[in-house]
Amino acid sequence: MMGDKVEPRIGVFVCHCGHNIAGVVDVAAVAKMAMSLPYVVFSTDYMFMCADAGQQLIRDKVKELNLNRVVVASCSPRMHEPTFRRVVEESGLNRYLFDQVNLREQVSWCHMRQPKEATEKAMDLVRMSVARAAQLQSLPIKSVNVTPRTLVVGGGIAGLRASLDIAERGFEVVLVERLPELGGHVRKWTHLFPADESGAQIIGPLVKDVEKHRSIKVMQNSEVVEFGGYVGNFTAKIKNHETGRTKSVDVGAVIMATGFEPFRPFGYYGYGESPDIITLAELQELPPRADLLRPSDGKKVNKLAFIGCVGSREAGKQGHEHCSRHCCSAVAKAASDLKDKVGEVMILYQDIRTYGRGHEELYRLARSKFVIYSRFPKDSKPDVQVTANGITMRWYDVLSGDYLEFEPDLLVLASAMVPPGDIAETAKMFGLTRSADGFFNPEHIKLAPLTTHTAGVMIAGAAQAAKNASESVVDASGAAAKAVSLMARGQVEIESTVSHVIPELCSSCRTCVTACPYGAISMDKSREPAVALVTEAKCHGCGTCAAACPSNAIIMYHSTDDQIMAMVEAFLCTPAQVEGGTA
Amino acid sequence: MSQSQNETVVPEHWEPRILAYCCNWCSYAGADLAGTSRIQYPPNARILRVNCTGRIDPEFILAALEMGADGVLVSGCHPGDCHYTSGNLKLRARWALLEKVIEQSGVDPRRVRLQWASASEAQIFADGVKELTEQVRKIGPIRSEWK
Repeated sequence: MMGDKVEPRIGVFVCHCGHNIAGVVDVAAVAKMAMSLPYVVFSTDYMFMCADAGQQLIRDKVKELNLNRVVVASCSPRMHEPTFRRVVEESGLNRYLFDQVNLREQVSWCHMRQPKEATEKAMDLVRMSVARAAQLQSLPIKSVNVTPRTLVVGGGIAGLRASLDIAERGFEVVLVERLPELGGHVRKWTHLFPADESGAQIIGPLVKDVEKHRSIKVMQNSEVVEFGGYVGNFTAKIKNHETGRTKSVDVGAVIMATGFEPFRPFGYYGYGESPDIITLAELQELPPRADLLRPSDGKKVNKLAFIGCVGSREAGKQGHEHCSRHCCSAVAKAASDLKDKVGEVMILYQDIRTYGRGHEELYRLARSKFVIYSRFPKDSKPDVQVTANGITMRWYDVLSGDYLEFEPDLLVLASAMVPPGDIAETAKMFGLTRSADGFFNPEHIKLAPLTTHTAGVMIAGAAQAAKNASESVVDASGAAAKAVSLMARGQVEIESTVSHVIPELCSSCRTCVTACPYGAISMDKSREPAVALVTEAKCHGCGTCAAACPSNAIIMYHSTDDQIMAMVEAFLCTPAQVEGGTA
Repeated sequence: MSQSQNETVVPEHWEPRILAYCCNWCSYAGADLAGTSRIQYPPNARILRVNCTGRIDPEFILAALEMGADGVLVSGCHPGDCHYTSGNLKLRARWALLEKVIEQSGVDPRRVRLQWASASEAQIFADGVKELTEQVRKIGPIRSEWK
């Protein structure tokens, strides 16, 4: 874009990442090899490039040696590309004059027992990156305004908390809830741990505050049916299922608080075969009363049983490998509450994980009330038979080393938290990826758990993973803070990696117009003949148009044909290869 | 130029050289996850990150084969899961034609592989690299087809 006519002067920095990379890859050899590559004027290996001293090294070397391109060979660019772009910028260079080589996630960690081959791969990747770096061009840094309004999707405890936090900070919120009533799952629950309040008591005031806040527009019975735009400038079409009317709203940020669904464990422990076998969620939703009555005949429950980890922690079963995290504590709470109403309570478990503040106390409370905990082995699940006489459970008790039997009046299955049935469509609409457990993927599990790879779209609560209500609220306030900081700044920098049509080369075939998924390319009729023109604000930078253009008239900035082909060539046409050596 | 596999003589100490085009959002992230999960797979592939598989001009693949890549892997988001809505579908459409071109040019079409691997499918990504590497290892160096 901007002419960088000066000859490239490339600096290569190879990171040890402590032992993470250097333990497998011969980083010194990689750095030495890099010194022999075209345009490289400096190359070194260093313990931690992302640390302050590593960053300073880049700044110093850029100044000292007048570098105009920087290559860092370290971790995945998905982790530290923003860090190093900033460092490069602080050194006085354009942030796009930086390229990162992934030597950790894609070399040392996945070829741990092949140091020689890993080092060869690392050298090839550095060679490719240096070739690309020589072709890199400065791009203008662009900012756009942020619409000071946030869309919150989902009116459960996370969505409500996030909406209130944002509104209290003085920004507008549009809260969309699919159901007629706000409050999500928590509203229906009778035994909410760790405190002694019911779900309704917790959620009631929150709903009231949200409904009366003038900065929050609540849209119940509604769903987002269309979503588009980019950070700071999204447009959502929201359809009301009652009226059938669709409304379009402009927002600057989005918080996804779409929550979970309690897994309905058909095929597990006789679920569905008897009305007296219910899930923990179904138990929570029974209307509170003095006695616990069994659903089949309304008789008082005397013997109550729970089974833990139903549809959770099943290695190898997709979508059911995760621990659902809330169930151990929720079962302990429900069991100790209900022990006062029934004669005997039996809990069958694999492991007990009452990890949160106040949760262990619930476990102790249940124990002190003589709730019986019996551990069964992971590979030998309890057997549940439903007969005309009722329910019979038989299992191997690990601690006594013997088979035990119990005939509960009511059996409660602590079933998994799974994503809502339509999460795939939701993910597609908002451009989000999902983790192995099926929930939305955060941008980074440790460093950025509330943001996603779609800039401006945050995730909170059980939309991200199985969580309890307190954790969801923490998330919600965090995601709200993210949205608020985006809106408070008023402006946000956007990627300059967009495509551009060279009018002189365009043959007016319109292939790109149909190829673009965003309708960002139109025909510029002010020219004769009309040629393709990219509306940069609408371009997301996928490059599909550049690949489709039969006239090579489209440049995809920062991913140009020249940059890509330089990498291919650097890998395949190195002098050693021509002489018949092998990688 | 021969398609017959019987004639291929695989030189000793030869290792297939694979170029892997991965989209940033699904497969590149899946490859990262493979590393984070310490999944071990053959070190033959060199990953080249593109924003979207829709960015991949068939020319990029043909050129790589011409320059001596023994195999080319393209790995992207599952159809319907594209970060850019439909870039992968555009690539898939080009792919059908590309396979024909490769075959007609006399190169064994088993040297190229198109796969879908999401950000969470580290194992699928690693298995894809492994399968293509092993497949290409059987076929032999691409130079043996330059007759």
